Amino acid sequence: MASVTLENVSRMYGAVTAVDNVNLKIKSGEFVTLLGPSGCGKTTTLRMVAGLEKNTGGRISIGDNVVSDADKGYFVPSERRRLGMVFQSYAIWPHMTVFDNVAYPLRIRRRPDTEIRDRVMNALRLVEMDQYAERPSPALSGGQQQRVAIARALVFEPEVLLLDEPLSNLDARLRTQMGDDFRALQQRLKITALYVTHDQAEAMALSDRVVVMHGGRILQVGAPEEIYRRPENRQVAAFFGTPNLLNATVKDCRPNGGQYYKLSVEGQGWAGDCHAATEMPKGADVTVMVRPENLHVRNAGEVNGDLSWSGEVSQAIFRGSHRSIMVKTPAQTLHVEASSLSHVDIGRPVTVAAPVEAAWAVRN
Amino acid sequence: MTIIHNRPLDDIAETAPTLGGNAFTRAFSGGSLWRLIGMLVLILLLGFLTIYPLAMLLYGSLHSTPPGMAGEFNLNGYRSIMTTQNLIVLANTVGISLAKTIPSLTIAVFLAWIVARTDTPFRGALEVLITLPFFIPPILTAMAWGMLANPQVGVINMVWRWATGATDPLVNIYSYGGVIWHMCQYSIPFLFLFMVDAFRAMDPSLEESSRMCGASRWTTFRKITLLLMLPVLTSSFMLSFIKGIETFESALFFGLPAGIKVITTDIYESINHRATPDYQYATSLSFAIMGLMFLLVIWQWWMLRGKSFQTVTGKGFRPSVMELGPWRWVTFAICLMFFFITVVLPIGQLMLGSFFRFFGFYTYDMLTLEHYRAVFANSEFWRAVRNTMMLGLLGATATMALGAIVAYISVRTRWRGRSLIDGMAWLPWMMPGMVLGVGFLWAFAMLPGPIPIYGTVWALLLAYIALGTPVSVRVMTGAYHQLSYDLEECSRVHGASWFQTMWRIMVALAWPAFAVGWVLTFFGIMRELSASILLYSVGSETLAVVLMKLWANGNAEQVSVIGLMMMLLVIVFRWVQLSFIKSRISKL
Ligand SMILES: Nc1ncnc2c1ncn2[C@@H]1O[C@H](COP(=O)(O)OP(=O)(O)OP(=O)(O)O)[C@@H](O)[C@H]1O
Ligand SMILES: [Mg+2]
Repeated sequence: MASVTLENVSRMYGAVTAVDNVNLKIKSGEFVTLLGPSGCGKTTTLRMVAGLEKNTGGRISIGDNVVSDADKGYFVPSERRRLGMVFQSYAIWPHMTVFDNVAYPLRIRRRPDTEIRDRVMNALRLVEMDQYAERPSPALSGGQQQRVAIARALVFEPEVLLLDEPLSNLDARLRTQMGDDFRALQQRLKITALYVTHDQAEAMALSDRVVVMHGGRILQVGAPEEIYRRPENRQVAAFFGTPNLLNATVKDCRPNGGQYYKLSVEGQGWAGDCHAATEMPKGADVTVMVRPENLHVRNAGEVNGDLSWSGEVSQAIFRGSHRSIMVKTPAQTLHVEASSLSHVDIGRPVTVAAPVEAAWAVRN
Repeated sequence: MTIIHNRPLDDIAETAPTLGGNAFTRAFSGGSLWRLIGMLVLILLLGFLTIYPLAMLLYGSLHSTPPGMAGEFNLNGYRSIMTTQNLIVLANTVGISLAKTIPSLTIAVFLAWIVARTDTPFRGALEVLITLPFFIPPILTAMAWGMLANPQVGVINMVWRWATGATDPLVNIYSYGGVIWHMCQYSIPFLFLFMVDAFRAMDPSLEESSRMCGASRWTTFRKITLLLMLPVLTSSFMLSFIKGIETFESALFFGLPAGIKVITTDIYESINHRATPDYQYATSLSFAIMGLMFLLVIWQWWMLRGKSFQTVTGKGFRPSVMELGPWRWVTFAICLMFFFITVVLPIGQLMLGSFFRFFGFYTYDMLTLEHYRAVFANSEFWRAVRNTMMLGLLGATATMALGAIVAYISVRTRWRGRSLIDGMAWLPWMMPGMVLGVGFLWAFAMLPGPIPIYGTVWALLLAYIALGTPVSVRVMTGAYHQLSYDLEECSRVHGASWFQTMWRIMVALAWPAFAVGWVLTFFGIMRELSASILLYSVGSETLAVVLMKLWANGNAEQVSVIGLMMMLLVIVFRWVQLSFIKSRISKL
């Protein structure tokens, strides 16, 4: 398996910049996900790596070989990049059986028949589809088609596996299961994978690193937990879930001994401590992000966290796994995810509290 | 002190990748040289098939003598077509086309609705029967109707006189009504074919939600169904109208004897029926009709601009079918009657004509097989069969191959020049067969001596390819649009070259459409008369031409024999097409 390197890669469609100066290095055996809202250029990035789209700027390399260099006018066509790809539509050829579909990359490479048979059956076994080998491919369910697509992409041991929203056509339950299966397979075979999705949960569950994109640019690259808990800016923070984003001013800033800085901040009618990635001058305006699941509802006046707000419950919605509680405070309405067992009355005055590790400040 | 983490590009510089491959693979990495050569060949070919005859048409209209003779350039041709008589010809052409389009569209909508949206019994079979007339060469039914509704000896009038004792004929096919009647027989199945899938594919939830809002069936039909179908109806109307202006056979058989002239027959007459053929007049008129067609096409484009066909999608649901109760036998009978009038009656007439010694004298002692013997002993007939078959097989294959390539390049690639070839392939759409025939007449005559195409079957072949290309491009475009790009790209990513992908994926998946288009083109060639009659010469006659010659000699009996044979051929081909291709497609 090989690494993939993108250096200042751009793609213009006429005057529209679909991908803008993307820099990314995917290590061998790493699972990297491109994540972002619709139209942010994920598919375009993936297709440039695949060689289905020419980059109009920058350089792409797979392993030690440059495959596309816009400045030198050098471009290796798809079929010579040794890639495996799973398309969103799966692109299972309807005129072939499951076996023929998976055998295709090997037949194109003129391998002997016995080798083809062995490797195809191995690949099908890997995705637990070996008993369907002789089925005509239109007679498959969505999940089965997806497995065939994966088997086909893996059968000739490609340098890199590319996947464009491979799970988006499946129902929710199957999506989780197929995702977990695929992650296990990827780790077992040490496949380098570049994966496109707009589903945050999927991205976090599967990847070693997540690349958050917006408007053709990379906003942040990092491990899922990193991105979720310590976003670099407000856009990334807002992209995952529905966090509470509070405006505040820095009162004090000091290193906390570890990697981060500890800030004392003050907002409208509240004050407290939180963490931040960089040093911030006193008086700077920041956004403090607190995730709903890290907030706790306490009786009014009962303060034992590092941050607290007082207000009254304006809404409570039972959601099965938890209870969404809206608390109206002088600053803004806070969204709290409480245990579904907890019971709150609308209109009751309460205090909302969060530990210092749960609050993360980013520059406005 | 700042702590930097998540640097976007953590360690890119650590290994500097090198450019792979050698100079050769780099130079050809896009395959651009071969592509350039291929495109050039294609442009030259299409140019020869479409631009060249068009240019020669213009040349001919300005040239005072027939092709190949010394002469001078002048505007006499255009001056000579500016007559009041030609105004009547123009009015006839437009009027007849309108007069046949409106009833045809109404009936076709009704039939399409019956087949697609009601529970009429045997709808599948009815659909095949209703569309059959479309595949029968118009010359056959024209001749059959010429015998059926002949004012003196036509069967219909003889039965009428016998039944009522009247002396006047009931119908006279040699009239405006006759021309329109014959055109309708072709427009209705054509429009039906064009619209029925749209009727079938309409999302029933659009209608159902109207019903839920309290609208009655009839209101729903008017306010939802019909409006949703409006784009299809408009384009059907335009298409049928344009086709009507191009039509040749109906006006030739039923209009000319009654002194009713339309543009196509006027062109024909000025070349074939005058003491000295007036080529300049013919080409000028051809150019004029092309101008008219061009305006119509622009109008069509303008009418349909921005109208979306997206409301009519084709997947995932079965349209709700209206339950007609006992009325379903009425609709069944209506469909059957259409088939009876358009197919059974003409075939019956041809049979009748072929077994009696003289046309019009149907008594027992006149029964004979001599016409069959005469036809089978006629070497000209066999030559025409060979020519027609050869032209059909070769022409359909070549036309579809060209259409498949042009459609692929214009739909699936972003190569420079793709709109040019698409446009060139579409040009014959504006040229009626008659006009293209005149254009090729000049084009072949102007070729330098060593290229002896003029007067050979190859002349006909080239004309047929040019005439068929717009349709073949359309058929293949539709097929490619249905194949997602992913299927092709997936093959490329997994190591197949462009050619391997074409062969293993695109050809393998698009061949059912190719086959359908092939059969359509083949039928098109079988029925072609207007260009053939200008371009044939002794030795290169097609069956249609032989029929025309026999008819002109008043040999209705042998016409019946040959007509019957062609009819049989059409039905066999259609049956093979339906049973073979349909079963292959449904397997996919
Ligand atoms: N062929 C094209 N011509 C012009 N613009 C294009 C083309 N393909 C993509 N774009 C534009 O490039 C941008 C990025 O498209 P891309 O398909 O990469 O988005 P995406 O992140 O994959 O979105 P989604 O999640 O909806 O699939 C979009 O704004 C799109 O409109
Ligand atoms: Mg996408």
